[in-house]
Amino acid sequence: MMTRLFILICYFGICHLNAQNIDKDLLEVQHRLDTIQSFSALVELNVDISFINIPVKHAKIEYTKNEETKVFSEDFVLIPKKGLDVSLYQLFKNPFITVDRGTALRHNKTYKALNIIPTNRKADFSIATVLIDTFTNRIVEYEINTKKDGSYLVSMQYTNDISLLPISIEVKFEIERVRIPLKYMGRDADIDKDSYKSEEVKTGTIHIGFNYTEILYFH
Amino acid sequence: MKNLIFAEVYKLFKQGKTYYALGAIFLIEIIILFSAYSQGQDALDMILDNLKQSFYFEGNLLNGNLLSYLILNTLWFHLPLILIVIISGTLTSEYKDRTLLSVMLQPVAKWKFILSKYIVAILFTFLIVLFLAVTTFILAYSIFGDGDLIVYLNGLSFFESSDAFNRILWAFGFGAISMIFFSVVSLTLAVILEEPTKTWIAGAFFLIISNLLAKVNFKNYLLDNWLYVKLNDTWQYLFHFNIPWNKIYLNTTVLSLYTIVTVFIGVIIFTKKDVG
Amino acid sequence: MIITSYNLSKSYKSVKALKNVSISCKKGEILGVIGANGSGKSTLFKILLGVLKPDTGLVTISSKKTKPIGGIIEKPALYEYLNAHENLKVFGRIQGLKITDKFVINSLKKVGLPIDRKDPVKNFSMGMKQRLGIAIALLNNPECLVLDEPFSGLDPMGISSLNTLITTLAEEQKLGILISSHILGELNKICHRLTVLKNGEIIKSGTTKDIINESTIAYNISAANISTSEVLKSYDVTIKNHQATVIVAFEDISELLQKLHNENIAITSCTPEVNMNKLFEN
Repeated sequence: MMTRLFILICYFGICHLNAQNIDKDLLEVQHRLDTIQSFSALVELNVDISFINIPVKHAKIEYTKNEETKVFSEDFVLIPKKGLDVSLYQLFKNPFITVDRGTALRHNKTYKALNIIPTNRKADFSIATVLIDTFTNRIVEYEINTKKDGSYLVSMQYTNDISLLPISIEVKFEIERVRIPLKYMGRDADIDKDSYKSEEVKTGTIHIGFNYTEILYFH
Repeated sequence: MKNLIFAEVYKLFKQGKTYYALGAIFLIEIIILFSAYSQGQDALDMILDNLKQSFYFEGNLLNGNLLSYLILNTLWFHLPLILIVIISGTLTSEYKDRTLLSVMLQPVAKWKFILSKYIVAILFTFLIVLFLAVTTFILAYSIFGDGDLIVYLNGLSFFESSDAFNRILWAFGFGAISMIFFSVVSLTLAVILEEPTKTWIAGAFFLIISNLLAKVNFKNYLLDNWLYVKLNDTWQYLFHFNIPWNKIYLNTTVLSLYTIVTVFIGVIIFTKKDVG
Repeated sequence: MIITSYNLSKSYKSVKALKNVSISCKKGEILGVIGANGSGKSTLFKILLGVLKPDTGLVTISSKKTKPIGGIIEKPALYEYLNAHENLKVFGRIQGLKITDKFVINSLKKVGLPIDRKDPVKNFSMGMKQRLGIAIALLNNPECLVLDEPFSGLDPMGISSLNTLITTLAEEQKLGILISSHILGELNKICHRLTVLKNGEIIKSGTTKDIINESTIAYNISAANISTSEVLKSYDVTIKNHQATVIVAFEDISELLQKLHNENIAITSCTPEVNMNKLFEN
């Protein structure tokens, strides 16, 4: 009898512990984002990478809960692998635990910092760091260390304190310089040997502006 | 003078070799289009391989603009080589067939005769580039459609479709100036050497050397900026993300001066030579 | 004189091609220039036509025409990929002539070329090319015509019809015509005067008759019964078939012919045989 009671107590204790491993503020944010059924938006993509010149591009995105975001464009567009997921579906779709990292200062404001560690091996990232605005119950920044696609830092800007989806985001990531075989190079390509030989990985930034045409919420 | 020019144009278009040249140019375009069709996507994938880590691509880069750009790059070697053969042939054939002597037996001023050849050479070159441009656009856009253009030139640049088309159009225009320079040089070589085979060899040699020297860094301001080899590829500036128009106009003006001086040298030599 | 040259000299490196050559030709006159290969005929004609500059000397042409002199040097050089009409159009156009179809047809008729051939000139015979060359030389109505070796490459029929053309041009259009050749027989037939060129120098000049007669040492007399002649037995003679080659001076040939006539020898022809050594003797 005592043994059974002990096991029961341990079991409920572990469950409670698990519930304690997801921060309540993050849970609040997650619940808010879960109310979004779908949305569509016109996006403006502005790529800022030192060795890439591309004009501002426009595309249309459509998001439906539990599905991958779809992108449509008539022109050629470079679509960042991470960052367009403003509903943070990728972040929350696998089971995870959180670790409190205290606070972080951004633009003279203090935000709560948490690590998100997926517990499922299927997750495509190993760890993420999020900054939560506990006043507006929104994530303002997150950094993901993916298993295959490097690391991303996403900063999100909102129109006002109420809106759930950002008006603009900035995605920073590491990218290797494009290496082109000589025969494909244009004639006037000055081969900058120093930068060519450099092992330094470049940082790229994409600024994405959103113009939401439709947002549907679950009731 | 206009009678001489008319006669030169008439002779040029009555000769079979003119049409062989047009056919050769057309065939080169077809070959480029075909190889792009079969291998273009692989090449693009290789060029964009690094970017795939961070991006998905939406849109087709293997389009009419890219194909037009690839054909434009024949301006490096293939087109001037064909032009050298045709243009120099307009004079060397006259030496070989002795029709030059027959012409000089008529009341025709030597300087007017050779100048008319230069003028027709320039007009013909311009026409050839126009032919190349028009057929390129028709073939490339009808088969591959339009779309953004990707160019690797000191970095990877993407140009929107309409912007790309305008750049390619201007590039053909400025490229024509470069081709005119080669045509004029080949005619001057023909004035000096007279014999067809020697002139072709000299012309091809000139072209090869020009292409080689274009890549050399002379570490001298004058040579690196104003030697003709550095001006022949001015049309490439049209594919810098921000087009340096002043540099383009200046380069074109200086290259035009080179062309005029070469014509002048050819006319002087021809006038002083005994045709008999 | 329509054309006169004074003391023309020309050297090519160490070779002196012409030495102080002075010639002249009148309107309506046909002047023959005879010389071996390399004697300087072509050099002389190129200088007369203005395509070669002499080292010394000068050429004067008494004509105010836009094109005072026309000619052909060696073989006629034509645009082989064009037909006869087109060649005339091109050569006419470059000298500012208004070339109509009627003009082309008249030019072709003048030289005896067919007016309906549209194939390229490369298909023409040498004789036809020569005629077309002359037609082009006659564009713009020059007053003097210079023909360098016009009989070269022609068959007997071609030579004969070219002779007729040249004679007609001189007689009817009063062109002064200079012809060079090494075929004395043809020059003899049509030239009024002859000039003999050797090693770039003029060694003889005069009427055709005088030049031929001076160099004649024998005559070829043809008759069906020539072998029966008794008169010929006292001459240095070679008889072959119906032709006898008799060594006799110019002054004595008339007498011989009279004697043969008296013998009832039916003479059908009597042609001088020129001794080339004597002709080219200084």
